Amino acid sequence: MLRILTAVVLTIAAVPGRASIPAEQEDCLGCHTDPSMTFDLPSGEKLKLGIDQAAFAKSVHGEVLRCTECHTDKASDHATGQLKFKNRREVTRAYYEQCKGCHFANYTKTLDGVHYAVMAKGNDKAALCVDCHGAHDISRPGQPRTRISRMCSSCHEFEAEIYAKSVHGRAAESSGDVPVCTDCHRAHDTTDPRDGALAMRTPEICGRCHTDEKLMKRYGLSTKVVDTYLSDFHGMASTLQRGKKHAPGDRLAAVCTDCHGTHDIEKSKDPSSSVMSANLQKTCQKCHAGASASFPKAWLSHYEPTPQKAPIVWGVTFFYKLMIPFMVGGLILQIALHLWRVVVNR
Amino acid sequence: MSDYIVRFNLQQRVEHFLTMLTFAVLCLTGLPQKFYQADWAAGIVRVLGGIDSTRWIHRIAGLTLAVATIAHFTNGIRIMLSKRQYFSMVPTKKDFEDAILQLRYYLGMTEKHPQYDRYTYKEKFEYWGLVVGNVIMVATGFILFFPVQAASFIPGQFIPAAKVAHSNEGLMAFFVITIWHIFNAHLSPDVFPFDASIFTGKVSRERYVHEHPVELARLEGGLPPDVHGRKAGEVHGIERREVG
Repeated sequence: MLRILTAVVLTIAAVPGRASIPAEQEDCLGCHTDPSMTFDLPSGEKLKLGIDQAAFAKSVHGEVLRCTECHTDKASDHATGQLKFKNRREVTRAYYEQCKGCHFANYTKTLDGVHYAVMAKGNDKAALCVDCHGAHDISRPGQPRTRISRMCSSCHEFEAEIYAKSVHGRAAESSGDVPVCTDCHRAHDTTDPRDGALAMRTPEICGRCHTDEKLMKRYGLSTKVVDTYLSDFHGMASTLQRGKKHAPGDRLAAVCTDCHGTHDIEKSKDPSSSVMSANLQKTCQKCHAGASASFPKAWLSHYEPTPQKAPIVWGVTFFYKLMIPFMVGGLILQIALHLWRVVVNR
Repeated sequence: MSDYIVRFNLQQRVEHFLTMLTFAVLCLTGLPQKFYQADWAAGIVRVLGGIDSTRWIHRIAGLTLAVATIAHFTNGIRIMLSKRQYFSMVPTKKDFEDAILQLRYYLGMTEKHPQYDRYTYKEKFEYWGLVVGNVIMVATGFILFFPVQAASFIPGQFIPAAKVAHSNEGLMAFFVITIWHIFNAHLSPDVFPFDASIFTGKVSRERYVHEHPVELARLEGGLPPDVHGRKAGEVHGIERREVG
């Protein structure tokens, strides 16, 4: 009996106390739950003054924050009919600063991000905290993960559409294995993809999943792709170019995305893939003008040189593996003998 | 009788100097490309102004070496056609005998030291190693410099093979020079600290007696005819311009 009672008490305690969120302690919700309550901004936009109490209660902040913790300038007697904001964007910008009071680490990261950079240059539409996370209805990000890509797509519609058709995008709805936008672009310190810095990081970015044995086994994919890339010409050059930004007239070495594509990545066996063998010559020609039909064979398609896959490369490698120790060993031996005789002669 | 022998003519000295310079530049700009994941490699590349300028320095040094190699061959062929001189760098049966005798001497199996002619087997080995190495490096270097053009007349797989050959042959050359050549020209007790003959062209007669007695005898006394059956006067009397 006691055990049943305990269980009942615990169950009740575990249910979020929906009726008693901290926001209610301030009487704000007495007025601000009326959905028809709006304010006419000078820009002609209507600013909604009512919030959805249920949605707020369910949000991550519902059980933690009182209204004035974000709306710090609001006292109880503020219904003067005056607002300093000219348009809705100004309202958003004014409250965006409030997030950093608690989320300082992520706020600091945004200062390195492309959204902040373009905002600093005067782009008013650049994403702020609440543009991605929401305001009163903030929930844990990435639940489900596809919500992230959907959220980015509200501004980046063109890229999102291409991504959705790609090998990653198609699987995103049903699988947590594939990357969503932020897995490659990062969330807060989102890298500017235009200056080449993001591209130069792709061996590491793509490699995070594509060198994961367990993950790749599920799809029958090789985990040698990064190592084989790095040991080739492009990988060497891109390693030495790391951190370099794309200056006009500069050519950076090909990285993963230069051959495989970015948002439109496809299975290598798919006829539409840029790395499918029939399309490879054209892909090489993007950088190597005039590449002949035999030119793509210069690239070993992420295979390690074995007697089967690349007998010539394997043969030359094998030859030097024997030749160098033989040569160096022989010479050192002769020097040693020479010195030995000099010592003996004394 | 003069107290020194002119061992290397001006052309040979210039060739050595040019090879030394280009070789150093090629190693400095090439090895960081082979060991690109090492910190020191990234450091050298940074000092040289990035991988692109490093490569251009490498290519210019490589082209210089290619031109020098071709000039060397042209000169050799010209001399061969004129039949005025013998090729003192051609390996002979004596070289193999010398090598075996030298090793037996080192091991203490004999007290008899090989009597060397103009070039010892060690010098011939290094010379031919350089010649073969240069040909490999120049050929594979051009394939890597112009991969698109190369692939239009050789199979594509030759390009990564050329990269493996270029990078390994280069490393081997680096080892041979830093270990073998530096020993023989600097650290060997016979010449320590510095055998300057390739820069001055001169070697003391005293050293020549020990190191190249056969050639010295031929130079000074018309004795004995060289391995090609010619007498010393025919070979050395007029001018001394052996290949090598």
